[in-house]
Amino acid sequence: MNKLSVFIILLFAYLSASASSILIKGADIYSTTGLLPKSNIYIENGIITAIGRSTPMSADMEVDGSGMSITAGLFNSSTHIGTVEVSAISPTVDFYSDNEAVTAALRIADAFNPRSTLIPHYRVHGLTHALLVPESGTNLFSGQVGLVQLGNQPKVIHNSLAVALDFTESGVELSGNSRAAALVQMRQALDDAKDFSRNRKAAMAGDHRDYVLSYADLAALESVVNGHKPLLVKTHRASDITTILALAKDFQLQLILSGAIEGWMVAEEIAKAGVPVIMDPIHNLPNSYESLGARLDNAKLLADAGVTLLFTGMGGSDTHNAYLVKQSAGNAVANGLSKSMAIAAMTSNPAKVFGASVSGDIAVDQTADLVLWGGDPLELTSEAQLVLINGEVIPMESRSFQLRDRYFKRLKKD
Amino acid sequence: MKKALSKSLALITVMTLGACGETAKDSVEISLPNKNPYPSTYQTPESPAFALIGANLLTGDGAELTNTDLLIENGKIVAMGPALELQPGTIQVDARGQWVTPGLIDVHSHMGVYPSPATSNHSDGNEMTSPVTAEVWAEHSVWPEDPQFEKALAGGVTTVQILPGSGNLIGGRGVTLKNIPSITVQGMKFPGAPYSLKMACGENPKRVYGRRNTLPSTRMGNMAGYRAAWIEASDYKKSWDDYVTDAQAGEDVDPPSRNLRLETLAGVLEGDIRIHNHCYKVDEMAQMIDMSKEFGYKIAAFHHAVEAYKAAPMLAKEGICGVMWADWWGFKQEAFDMVRENIALVDYAQACAVIHSDNPIQVQRLNQEMAKAMSAGNRMGLDISAAKAMRWGTYNAAMALGLEDQIGSLAVGKNADIVLWTKHPLSIYSLAQKVWIDGNLRFDRFDKSVQPTSDFNLGIISAGEARP
Repeated sequence: MNKLSVFIILLFAYLSASASSILIKGADIYSTTGLLPKSNIYIENGIITAIGRSTPMSADMEVDGSGMSITAGLFNSSTHIGTVEVSAISPTVDFYSDNEAVTAALRIADAFNPRSTLIPHYRVHGLTHALLVPESGTNLFSGQVGLVQLGNQPKVIHNSLAVALDFTESGVELSGNSRAAALVQMRQALDDAKDFSRNRKAAMAGDHRDYVLSYADLAALESVVNGHKPLLVKTHRASDITTILALAKDFQLQLILSGAIEGWMVAEEIAKAGVPVIMDPIHNLPNSYESLGARLDNAKLLADAGVTLLFTGMGGSDTHNAYLVKQSAGNAVANGLSKSMAIAAMTSNPAKVFGASVSGDIAVDQTADLVLWGGDPLELTSEAQLVLINGEVIPMESRSFQLRDRYFKRLKKD
Repeated sequence: MKKALSKSLALITVMTLGACGETAKDSVEISLPNKNPYPSTYQTPESPAFALIGANLLTGDGAELTNTDLLIENGKIVAMGPALELQPGTIQVDARGQWVTPGLIDVHSHMGVYPSPATSNHSDGNEMTSPVTAEVWAEHSVWPEDPQFEKALAGGVTTVQILPGSGNLIGGRGVTLKNIPSITVQGMKFPGAPYSLKMACGENPKRVYGRRNTLPSTRMGNMAGYRAAWIEASDYKKSWDDYVTDAQAGEDVDPPSRNLRLETLAGVLEGDIRIHNHCYKVDEMAQMIDMSKEFGYKIAAFHHAVEAYKAAPMLAKEGICGVMWADWWGFKQEAFDMVRENIALVDYAQACAVIHSDNPIQVQRLNQEMAKAMSAGNRMGLDISAAKAMRWGTYNAAMALGLEDQIGSLAVGKNADIVLWTKHPLSIYSLAQKVWIDGNLRFDRFDKSVQPTSDFNLGIISAGEARP
């Protein structure tokens, strides 16, 4: 990026406070209807009011977007944002619990801290929305999945989009180290939830049989067994995926798969079941015996089979560097996935799958959640130049930028 | 000398000097430990001369050259320039319009010692049974069939330094490997590469041993632990120096007893073994530098140097490399003050800036890590070219390893460790297309016969399958 761009960023900071209309001119716009090359976008009071060549010609804030691109704000579909500051300092970690008495009832969104010092770091790099997925140290069911928006006033948009279950090797370990035992526990919990749903009154009055899970946990599973809320199952091995697909069919559950490192081996089955997959396309190592089939074109092979993809990433940095979902997506494209699919997997697909009030698209009459990138949206050299979340320009400020500026000043003096 | 000598001690005949500087007739035999008991068995395979024609080069030492030819013979780059005159019959690789860089170097890897699958049977990277385990050598833990190696090769990585983990104050010796398939680690060892010693500052050692109620449980405990070890090592070194002096003086003396732990530390004090020091924070780096002066050794590099941008003038002054990630942070308090401009700022201060992976996913795409670090620097107005950014994973990395005379740049006389890329090397869409090590083609993305896979993968990957 050149000095002009630095100037532009400073200019945004100045103008954004007062701009009620914004015009970005001549940028490549990636919308779900396709690429709109060298187009203008006009935003008025936070709403996109015109896209194309013949938009209004002036605005409070005008940006030359030539050579740049616009996508919807990035959406990472598996994070712990706002529920951890420093991973190794356990009092700051709320996404994980080892409380045996709390399973499906845990709502990670209850612990979301909108003042987390990490949040500005995400949004200045173009991340606007994230799914919060809890983890458990004691139970297969880890709790309820939340959705947050990372704008100037970060907030929980939905506190229970799905119930999460861990059927990876680490989840199975909590069930006494056998997949077969884990399945007994899962079926029992789902059967109990059904029974509880049918006999709620009697059960609550203490006039019904005992359950393994608490009433709170069963109540949380009720909408899952009634098919109103998805069960989000993390699992990697191809045969485990098949097992979970069969379980979901038996219990008539809505299912979302997560992980799916060997998903490509059973891509047709996943597609046929209409199950979306949350995945990080970066995994290609046989890092455990459940992921021996890992490969970099997993995303491409799943997409070719017709599976809807939702991306997370990258690697172990899926929370502190949750915006690097873009790097995972770029690697998927380098390994065969189409660019439009890759962008959809971190914008419009999660918006669609979770049906929440996030558009994940660039379209007229929608609230602006978008990023202006310095070049091709997936290139790592394309920095976020301008980010709008919920119609508001976000300031390009973060703790990390403050540290940088403090020490650069000192280095210049030396 | 009449004493029976241990088999592990090498005999060195020293001609003693007479009082007037003339060579005395008497000679004494001095027995010193063998410094290379597990030698490299790597030999550069013979291969015909070939030339890359018309390539765009990021040379690794800071230059970008367009439309340049490279001639490779006997594993070395022997000529480089526009339109080289070639002997008739020289094999030519058409690289017109394509990008070529030196082989990438990862100075911080745990491949082989923390392999895939990450099961306990192969978890051999951290000898956390005592805070100072200078006696352990990472090469004795390396599993050469680790499937991570071939993935790194497909990412253009030709040289790796394998280090022990950071649970200990002094974790043991690291080893530099050529990233080639081999059934033994000796077959991968970079001939003549200096040994390294892993040290660790900060949270890890004090956490590991503090939980056991043994020293160190604090950062001051960390310092006390290192210093006690260096004091022992200084005494040990002196006992051997005295032995040599006395033997040279013609005295009938026994060599001191060997102590593996102190032998490695004494190797550092002698300048043979390079210190690679896991150290996140600027205040601890300053302590480590003072300690190196207290005991008279040199630090080659601070690794995971998240706060290197705060220490940059110090690093430049002391000639210590900052070895950094592009953007990792937040997993520990000592990794909290991350700036994405870290590498760019260290470079700006004219210190040696190096990018590293410490991770089997990142090692496959060091070029992307360079791109991110360059972009962060350019965003703040530093004018960093791709050619300059390439240094961080090539020439500067070679300097950190003490191998810059052999690898790390495309230059006449250097080893022919070369990567031909499908696109500009700093593009996210770019993949290593062909990778040569010492002039031998070791990976070809478009030729399955040049895509080595480990024994482990047989039966998992079907015959002839290319699995990216």
